[in-house]
Amino acid sequence: MANPMEQFSIERIVPLAVAGEDVSFTNSSLWMLVAMLVVAAFLYIGTAKPQLVPGRAQAAVEYLYDFIRDMLRENVGREGLKYAPLIFALFIFVLACNLLGLIPFIGAFTPTSHIAVTFGLAMIVFVLVLIVGFAKHGLHFFSLFLPEGTPIFVLPLVAAIEFLSFLSRPFTLAIRLFANMTAGHVLLKVFGGFVVALGSFEALPIVLGIVPLAVNVALTALELLIAVVQAYVFALLASIYLNDAVNLH
Amino acid sequence: MPQFLPANFLPQLVWLAVIFAVLYFAVIRPTLPKVGRVIDEREGRVAGDLDAAETAKTEADAIRLRYDEGMDTARKAAQAQVAGAQEEASRATEARMKDLAAVLDGKSAEAAGRLATARDAARATLATTTAELTGEAVTRLTGLQLPAADIEAALAAQN
Repeated sequence: MANPMEQFSIERIVPLAVAGEDVSFTNSSLWMLVAMLVVAAFLYIGTAKPQLVPGRAQAAVEYLYDFIRDMLRENVGREGLKYAPLIFALFIFVLACNLLGLIPFIGAFTPTSHIAVTFGLAMIVFVLVLIVGFAKHGLHFFSLFLPEGTPIFVLPLVAAIEFLSFLSRPFTLAIRLFANMTAGHVLLKVFGGFVVALGSFEALPIVLGIVPLAVNVALTALELLIAVVQAYVFALLASIYLNDAVNLH
Repeated sequence: MPQFLPANFLPQLVWLAVIFAVLYFAVIRPTLPKVGRVIDEREGRVAGDLDAAETAKTEADAIRLRYDEGMDTARKAAQAQVAGAQEEASRATEARMKDLAAVLDGKSAEAAGRLATARDAARATLATTTAELTGEAVTRLTGLQLPAADIEAALAAQN
């Protein structure tokens, strides 16, 4: 049976180097590019002729955009609406990568199952929070680490904890998405391996092979759910973190 | 795990940065705000329509109120007119009844007068007739021919 981790290996399709550093175009880059093109097709078709009474394509774009805007309105307030395009970009990019990676064929790859990619996305959120926070509140932004009503003698401890939790945000954001995607694909691969192993069992090959196949079908449905939920969670946490920068708790 | 190979980090991060930048600046920025504007416009339109409907409703309510008031005053005026006409009619009827009663009273008095004359005349002839009948009866019973004046006197004494 193939190693279930093999599916995550990075293949350098076009080896490139800039200033001696490896920046090869890999299968990960390819699938990010595919995701970007799918999103571009979706958006360019959906917004080709924006109309007051939307057609199917426009209604689909509006549905997703409204979803993000409602989330921002709820978590940040009206001020958060101007970040809707960026949060939407994060959401739809993660969603597209997650879903495209679930198409079962040889060469399929999920960029969001790589911590480098999810960490890069999490850093976008982190840097955005820092920029918005300092631009809006200046040094007052540090009061984020001093929760109101804390007794003065525990304040240093609380501030240290708050600061650490703030710094850990990009890591938790990145690891949550990466771990979910990796675990799901490992599971699918393991049960896929069972289909082959049990299906080639000489007595009753079909009967024994069909059980892990059925499990894999169910797992694929579950993974579809997780793909959507994790994209949602990523966008939701991004807007909650953004709320800290805009409103300071 | 290939995910934790440091050699894999840089190519992925660089391409993520490039592709995400293209996604944000060349795909999201030129397209999504259009839809946002349409959504806002639609919300504005719907809110405006709702406002217009609200104003129309208050206007209709005011018109309805005015109509009800107009109907009320018209009904009251009509009722007053009807009452006036009824009163006038009854007054006229009463007057005519009075006139008619006067005419009838005159006629009945006249008739009573005529009746009295007739009765008096009848009474006047009654005495002579009685005397004649009495005279005849006396003649048949006794064969006497009494003068009419005597009989009359006797009858008057009997009465």
